[in-house]
Amino acid sequence: MKKNVNDIAIQVKNVEKSFKIYYDKAHTLKETMLFWKRNQNELFHALKGVSMDIKKGETVALIGVNGSGKSTLLKLMTKIYYPTKGQIITHGKVTSLLELGAGFHQDFTGRENIYFNAAIFGLTKQEIDKRLDTIIEFSELGDFIDNPVRTYSSGMYMRLAFSIAINVDADILLIDEILAVGDQHFQEKCFAKLQELKESDKTIVIVTHNLDQVKSLCTRGIWIDEGKIAFDGDPSKAVEEYLKKRG
Amino acid sequence: MELFKNLYQYRELLKTNVQKEIRGKYKGSFLGILWSFLNPLLMVLVYAIVFPYIMRMQQEHYLVYLITGVIPWNFFNLAIVTGANCIWINGGIIKKVYFPREILPISVVAAGLINFLISCIIILLFVVFGGIGITLHVLWLPIIALVQSIFTLGILFALSAIDVYARDIEYLVQFFLQLLFYATPILYTTSMFPEQVRWILYLNPMTHIIDAYRSIFYYGTMPNLASLLYIAGLSILILVVGYLIFKKLEKGFAEEV
Repeated sequence: MKKNVNDIAIQVKNVEKSFKIYYDKAHTLKETMLFWKRNQNELFHALKGVSMDIKKGETVALIGVNGSGKSTLLKLMTKIYYPTKGQIITHGKVTSLLELGAGFHQDFTGRENIYFNAAIFGLTKQEIDKRLDTIIEFSELGDFIDNPVRTYSSGMYMRLAFSIAINVDADILLIDEILAVGDQHFQEKCFAKLQELKESDKTIVIVTHNLDQVKSLCTRGIWIDEGKIAFDGDPSKAVEEYLKKRG
Repeated sequence: MELFKNLYQYRELLKTNVQKEIRGKYKGSFLGILWSFLNPLLMVLVYAIVFPYIMRMQQEHYLVYLITGVIPWNFFNLAIVTGANCIWINGGIIKKVYFPREILPISVVAAGLINFLISCIIILLFVVFGGIGITLHVLWLPIIALVQSIFTLGILFALSAIDVYARDIEYLVQFFLQLLFYATPILYTTSMFPEQVRWILYLNPMTHIIDAYRSIFYYGTMPNLASLLYIAGLSILILVVGYLIFKKLEKGFAEEV
C-alpha cells in the first residue's frame, strides 16, 4: 500500500454528480430512434461541487436530510458511481456496506454465503478460511449457519452480512444507515466493534440519522445539504447546526 | 496493469464465478453438466444426416470433419450468446457492491474455455476411432484455444457493455451469429469455392480459427502459421479495443442497469 505523505485516506476534489431522470426510458434502439422526444431527460444534480480530505484513522459522519446526496457521495467513494466532474482518490482497501447481504444467494447456506460475499469484497479463500470462525461467532448464528439463507429472519440476515463486512479488514469502511437494524444487543455489539475499529486506526465513513451515534462515535461531522457541504468539523457542532436549520 | 492487479486480488471471486457459470447453466436438468457435451453432439448428428444425404456432401470422414468444426464453434457461439447480457443480468449486485466489472465477461469466457477443453476429449475420440488417427500436432491446441479465447473476450467486452445501454444487442447478436456460422467453413469446405472468391471466406476471423483446429485434428498437419499469426494479432487488437469500450461505458453501469 502506498504511504501518502499526509496520510490521507480519501481525497474528494470538487466532485459533482448529476443523474439523468428519464420520464419514460427508452431501452431499445427502436425506442431511442422513434421516440427520441420521449427520451428527453432532465438532469438532477445530486452533488454540486464537494471537496474534502479524509485522513487515515478518522471516523466521519455524513449527516443531512433524505436526498441531500450523502449516499451518492458514499457510492462515489466505493466506485459504484463515477463523478460527473472532479475526482475521488482512495488510498487503501475499501469495503462498503451499502445494502446488507448484497450478493447473498438465497439457496445456499450461511457458511457458503460467507465465501461468496467475502469473495465479492476481494478476499481469497485462505483469507476467508482464517476469518470464518470470527465471522460466525460475531454473527451469533450458531447452528443456523448451515441452513439456507432464505430461512433466515431479517435480523439474522443482517447480522451475517454485517459480520462479514466488518471482518474483511479493510482500511476504509463505508457504511450506509445500517446500524439501525437488529436488536438492542446486536446494535450495541456493532457499536463496540466500530469503536474497536476506530481505535485500530481504520478510516470509517458513516451515513446515519442517529445523531447520538454521531456525537459518541465520530471524530468529525460533515453536514451535507442540497449537494453541498454545509458544515464540516466537530461532530457535536455539526449536529447542532443541522438541527438548527433542519430540525 | 491495474487490471491484472485487480484480477489477482479478486481471484477468489473470479473462481466462484467461473464455477457458477459452469454448474449454474444446466441447474434443474437431470443430466446437468452433461448437456454441455450432449448439445454439440446432437447438433452434429443433425448435420451429419442432412448434409451427406440431402445436400450430397462428399467429404471423406464427414462426421469427424463436422465435429472438429462444430465443437470449437460452439465454444465461441455459447460464450457470445450467454455473455452478451452478463452485465445486465448482474445489475442488482453492480448497484450495490464494487468489484472489478471485467470479472463478469472474463468468467463467461473462462467457463467456456474449460468446457471446450473438456469437449476436446470428444474430438479426440472421434479422430482416433473415426479412422483418421492422431498426430503430435494436436499439441498446438492450447495456443489455438488461447487465441480463440482472446478473440471471444474482446468481442464480449464490447458487447456486454453496449448491451447495458441498448438491449437490442442481444437480438442482433443472435442474427449475426447465425450469419457467421454459415460464413464459416464448418459444414462445408473452402475448396468447394473457386479460387477467385475463396478469399472472401478468409475475411471472417472464425474461418482462420476453425481452419487451425481442422489442421491439427482432421488433417494432422501443422496449422498455417501465417494465418495463425494474423488471427492472433487481430485478436489482441480486438481485445484492446473491446476493453477500451468496456472501460469507457463501465462508468455508467450502476446508473443504467
